[in-house]
Amino acid sequence: MKFYGVSVEERKASGRYTVLRYRWPGLVEPGQFVMARAVGWPVTLDPFLARPFSFYDHDGEVASLLFEVRGRGTALLDRAHKIEVSAPLGCGFQLGSSSGKAALLGGGVGIAPLKILGRRLTELGVPHDVFLGFADAPTAGAARDFPGAGMATMDGSLGTPGTVLDAVPNLTEYGAVYACGPNPMLAAVKRTVGPDRLCQLSVEERMGCGNGSCNGCAVPVRSGGYVRSCVEGPVFRAEALAW
Amino acid sequence: MVVRERKTETRLAVELCGIPLRTPLIPASGTLTKEALGEVEGVYGAMLPKTTTPAPRAGNPPPRVAETYAGMVNSIGLQNPGVERFLEGLDAFDIGLPLFVSAAGDTLEEFGALCERLGADERISAIELNLSCPNVECGGLTFCAGPASVEEVVAVCRRATGKPIFAKLTFEGVVENARAAESAGADALTIMNTIPALTIDAHRREALVRGGLSGPAIKPVALRAVYDVCGAVEVPVIGSGGVTSGIDVAEFMLAGATAVQIGTASFVRDPKEILSELASYLDKVGLDTADLMGALSS
Repeated sequence: MKFYGVSVEERKASGRYTVLRYRWPGLVEPGQFVMARAVGWPVTLDPFLARPFSFYDHDGEVASLLFEVRGRGTALLDRAHKIEVSAPLGCGFQLGSSSGKAALLGGGVGIAPLKILGRRLTELGVPHDVFLGFADAPTAGAARDFPGAGMATMDGSLGTPGTVLDAVPNLTEYGAVYACGPNPMLAAVKRTVGPDRLCQLSVEERMGCGNGSCNGCAVPVRSGGYVRSCVEGPVFRAEALAW
Repeated sequence: MVVRERKTETRLAVELCGIPLRTPLIPASGTLTKEALGEVEGVYGAMLPKTTTPAPRAGNPPPRVAETYAGMVNSIGLQNPGVERFLEGLDAFDIGLPLFVSAAGDTLEEFGALCERLGADERISAIELNLSCPNVECGGLTFCAGPASVEEVVAVCRRATGKPIFAKLTFEGVVENARAAESAGADALTIMNTIPALTIDAHRREALVRGGLSGPAIKPVALRAVYDVCGAVEVPVIGSGGVTSGIDVAEFMLAGATAVQIGTASFVRDPKEILSELASYLDKVGLDTADLMGALSS
């Protein structure tokens, strides 16, 4: 995997998450991801692997990532001035304007790809609403970047009590649903949306390489067996997944 | 005085079982997908796709990978579409390099039939017998249980094909198993596979991945195995295990390896850097790769 050294242009807290910006003039599709790490070989023996992150936003010149500090890899990223990133990877959301209004559902740090997705849908003139679900009010601080978004918290401290699905008043008014979050949330979205509407899910899986080589990020599919989240995904049509 | 400038290409070239390789580097089986071939142009001397088995295998349920200090543990479980679909898609790996194919079966009969099938395909230059996968329930590592079982399976494969066969062995009992593979007719030995390992998530109190450890963490173990085997057999040895830099490649060749596989390192580095480090090292010491083999000073 080829990594590129980039300077962190800006870092800011977003609720309990971090938004990190770096210059990336290349193309980025909503739903694509990067492998990122604070330092490269030979320093990077621990953590050894880079981490996959969905693009949070990209304005043509500057890309941003949204992440939660969970372990050593993300803790180092949270304070690095220079980081190493791969080129954009994977298959993102397939965007069409024929399905009518779109609902964008995000859970926790899985709200990340909805920012760039919303930007792109606006550019395409596709009407859409954003709904975000969080564990509690402190994490829900990340919703500030999504003006007008509907919100739910599991502990009921902000917005509708419950999951992101509880924040959607009428799911049937949407012709397309795009979702990203923990896999149990995505399974619930798939069940609720049903088979008749376009539903695309960005899955979360542990990754080794990020380029399809290691077969580590296996996702079970309805046609049998597993496919790779990093190459065939991370965005899948809901009906393809065996959840 | 005439100073002869040798081209980098010539300096890097090696020969393995009569097969010329333009560099001594080979991707370790299961670590280079066809989608990533464009990124590694010029790096490798041969191509080696993920292990094929007689029937399709879905592989193991996730989680399949976990990170460790200086390495990772994987339990993929030989996910592959089966030999027939593998052969249908094999042209994708034809990038003008000798094509080696990694093969595994659950039984002796499967190994024999698979070698016959692969041996009959003219695109394939050699077959690597995966006798050491730690992540499948039957077959796999059990073939490396001892010299008798290694000898038996290599002999079956030897009878099935005239193509060069490489036996890929685990580190445990490696010298005895290497001698057995050689006497049964293996043309080369790939030393070694991943090491059986486990990761646990203490916070969730869950066993995470029970599989094979790879990466720089296992390099000294692999180096010792290669060194010991090279002192015990005549056939060429392909070094494999934690090779992450050009200097690592040189170390494996100094230990006696004819060629060296790059696996997990390609997830964290651009393999082109590994090759250029090797070239810089050769410049510095004034040697060709072919001169490195077993050339320890004491």
